[in-house]
Amino acid sequence: MSATDPTLTVLAYSSVAAFAAALGVLPQAVSGRLPLRILGWGNALAAGLMLGVAYALLTAGLTDGVLAGGAGAVLGLLFVRVTHAATGVQDLDLNRLDDLDPAYGYQLVLVNVLHGAYEGVAIGAAMLVSLPFGISMALALAVHNVPEAMAFTAILESRGVPLRHAAGLAVATKFNQVLVSVVVFVVVGSLPPLLPWAVGFAVGALLYLLLSELLPESYSQAGHTSIALVTLVAMGIVVALAGAA
Amino acid sequence: MSDVVLVFLYALATALATGLGALPFLFVKEVSDRVVGLSNAVAAGLMLGASFGLVSEGTVHGRLGTLGGALVGVVFILVTQRLLAGYDEEKMVFEAARGEGARRMLLMLVVMTVHSFSEGVAVGVSFGGGMTLATLITVAIAVHNIPEGVAISAVMRPQGVSVARCAGWSVVSSLPQPLMAVPAFLFVEAVRPALPWGLGFAAGAMVFMVLVELLPEAFHEGGRQEVATLTTLTVIAMVLFQRFL
Repeated sequence: MSATDPTLTVLAYSSVAAFAAALGVLPQAVSGRLPLRILGWGNALAAGLMLGVAYALLTAGLTDGVLAGGAGAVLGLLFVRVTHAATGVQDLDLNRLDDLDPAYGYQLVLVNVLHGAYEGVAIGAAMLVSLPFGISMALALAVHNVPEAMAFTAILESRGVPLRHAAGLAVATKFNQVLVSVVVFVVVGSLPPLLPWAVGFAVGALLYLLLSELLPESYSQAGHTSIALVTLVAMGIVVALAGAA
Repeated sequence: MSDVVLVFLYALATALATGLGALPFLFVKEVSDRVVGLSNAVAAGLMLGASFGLVSEGTVHGRLGTLGGALVGVVFILVTQRLLAGYDEEKMVFEAARGEGARRMLLMLVVMTVHSFSEGVAVGVSFGGGMTLATLITVAIAVHNIPEGVAISAVMRPQGVSVARCAGWSVVSSLPQPLMAVPAFLFVEAVRPALPWGLGFAAGAMVFMVLVELLPEAFHEGGRQEVATLTTLTVIAMVLFQRFL
């Protein structure tokens, strides 16, 4: 990898993560309308991967600048909370399959776009911690994007959007993930004291997202035990991945 | 005084510190549904943050052992749940509560008590490295135990258990620490390979408890945004706290 400009590595892997979202239409394409239980497990999978990334960033990314990291985490949490409240997407139920309200449609797209941006901060910051670590985090978030897109697709399809457009939309909502990854990598890379802030921001944002949206959603869709198991296994996979990097 | 007695006394002191965790509940006068939800959110954050610390320490000693131990921890909770489910929930009485509340309190105490076994081993092993740092390690672990007492009291106090009894049960949950610290200290070389398994076990059991009991209960009684905010802040505070000790 040494011959390649590291910025290109960030671009490549964040693009992989964004395009992985297209795979989210597959379950729908294969078996038609998905049972709520499957969507719940998908949300739990997405939540567990996010929890694992937050853990990995905290342990690998905050070896020094712990206080700045903590302050960054509070900032990340507040940023997500305020942004979602300001745009009216707080407490948004991500699986109202039969809700055809136009407002619900744009809110859903917005939520997916916002998720992509926060994950972009995580990828950019992780790549600055070390490229192999960043790559494993980008791959974890790529997998995370699949069940997230699966939930997105389920709603789009019930609103009459063809699957090929759903796949395109799922990827398009993640374009900003690529942009934010690269910008964070370049900007924070040129101002190293900002790194603990960026790592902390990503941790706070991801933890808040999975706790305010993914997990409460999943609990209403499937049994608590199965949700807890899926979440834990997903987290364990990221812990293993992060250590291998 | 022999080193063995000293290790026991130090570990006992850390167990007693757990009881201090009940003190904040002297200031919570009225226990409404919202307080129940938010207490569970705080307990969830404390246990998640503590597990992050256990996993990162465990993976230093052995990654596969930590993950394997976590799996055993999850199976342990599943089996315990199954055993508790064998009793008629309506007839189950524990402290001031019955039914669902009694079951959750019992499970919480089981989880926290078994996790103390692993912590006791960790204490003993660290003492095995020499007695010079003993006082420092003891103080650090005693302070670590206080939030665990807070987590236990946060689950028990809303069920109508008195502050004094919350403190008592918190100390009981930590008693395995002195009991395990002494053999671990004496047989440190034999015990060391088991350490990642023990730490992983404790982390797996605690995260699973958070996901299967505490968070669903928190979301049931409290709003998504406040639960997510409180849990995220608690995780961050717990991680900072561990880093500075």
